[in-house]
Amino acid sequence: MEMDKEIIQHMSNPNNYGRIEDADSIGIGENPQNGEKVLVYIDVEKDCSGEYVIADIAFEAIACMTTVVAGSIITQEARDITFSKCEELISVTLGMLENVPPEEAACSEMVAVALKAAIDGYLLSQEKGEKQTLIYKIGHSCSPDKEFSIEPQEEKQCKNC
Amino acid sequence: MQKLLVKTHEVWLVTLMASFMSNNAESKRVLNDFSDILFRNLTWIERDLIKRGEDYDYNRGNLPIKVDSLKVILSNISTRLTDMELMLSSVDNEELRIRLESDWDYMKFRVNILNDEKVTAFDMNRTYKNYNLSKEAVDAFTLFLFDESYKEYELIMIYNYLKAHFDDDFLNKIFQILVDESMFHLKSFGNMMAEMGILAVPRTLHKSLYQIEDVVQFLKDGIEEETAAKEMCRDLSAAVGRDTEELARFFDFINNQESYHIELMKEALAYYEKKELDG
Repeated sequence: MEMDKEIIQHMSNPNNYGRIEDADSIGIGENPQNGEKVLVYIDVEKDCSGEYVIADIAFEAIACMTTVVAGSIITQEARDITFSKCEELISVTLGMLENVPPEEAACSEMVAVALKAAIDGYLLSQEKGEKQTLIYKIGHSCSPDKEFSIEPQEEKQCKNC
Repeated sequence: MQKLLVKTHEVWLVTLMASFMSNNAESKRVLNDFSDILFRNLTWIERDLIKRGEDYDYNRGNLPIKVDSLKVILSNISTRLTDMELMLSSVDNEELRIRLESDWDYMKFRVNILNDEKVTAFDMNRTYKNYNLSKEAVDAFTLFLFDESYKEYELIMIYNYLKAHFDDDFLNKIFQILVDESMFHLKSFGNMMAEMGILAVPRTLHKSLYQIEDVVQFLKDGIEEETAAKEMCRDLSAAVGRDTEELARFFDFINNQESYHIELMKEALAYYEKKELDG
């Protein structure tokens, strides 16, 4: 990772790092290869047009510093935007990762899919009437020499939550 | 009592960070010693919580430490200690309460008379002892310090938690050595970060990291992680070795220490597995 002052600022004091107690939704992005995880916590409100908006967001990373930098940037972008804008943000982020070396892509992908899991989990919980925590696994590998194939959108209920 | 644990955890880290910030030999020593005492205070409070059967975790607040002058952080430490003294009424264990009060009272007195100095630990100069490192080496070194300072903090808290919950002298002796070793590494890396102007408090820990359900798997993963850390040290030694022998030798030294940690973890693993087998 090439360093500049902005990146070091994200490493020293990542935006939105921590958790939201009793968050409206928690999404988890996981690297099945090494067990690294990102947890994204969101609180949700409706805007005047009735669309869901991310009113508060936080993340925790059981992962490397590159993931923390990605979490700091992506969660800051996601704050105060509607779910549909957030879906665009996720899609653009995942699209950009297609041209990035897999070991670097894995970190940002983990954050993007955790955010997606938080949004999908919130929508599912609205349907089912109780909180749903989703875990999405990533498709990139941290170690290109050990590339593996897993459906990026695989989803399952979290046993721990 | 749990709140007191959180506050002690926080003031330990702030005092440790202040010791990294200081370039005055006496202030650095005093703050370093006090951070050690505060860490022990944390373990005493933790032990008391366990005895009382109270739930707790290592969650804590964010700690803003970016200051231009040491006096500001010293004053912050003093205020924190005063606030903690006011919480001592929640400690039923009289012996513990008296010990904590005595420690904190003296620390406040001593911290308040330390000299002020300009703090450069956050100026992002990213130079180390005026060595002429390549951009690639500085970037690799920077990332290593951020990653590994967090990792060492994580390991300190994991082994400390295990030690607090294991009633086994042999395992606890190993866990204590690993806490001490990680403390040394954290201090080494913290001082380097301050010198490079990139000092930062390690981020908070998720409780699944230290509230370990499968000790065998944890030790196996830990051995793998230490092996990976050895690789990182070897790569870094090679990256900076071209520019400075001192740093290259430092990373070789850390690399060799990881071998010792691996042996200790293997020993703990073999002992634990045998103990489980014997029932």
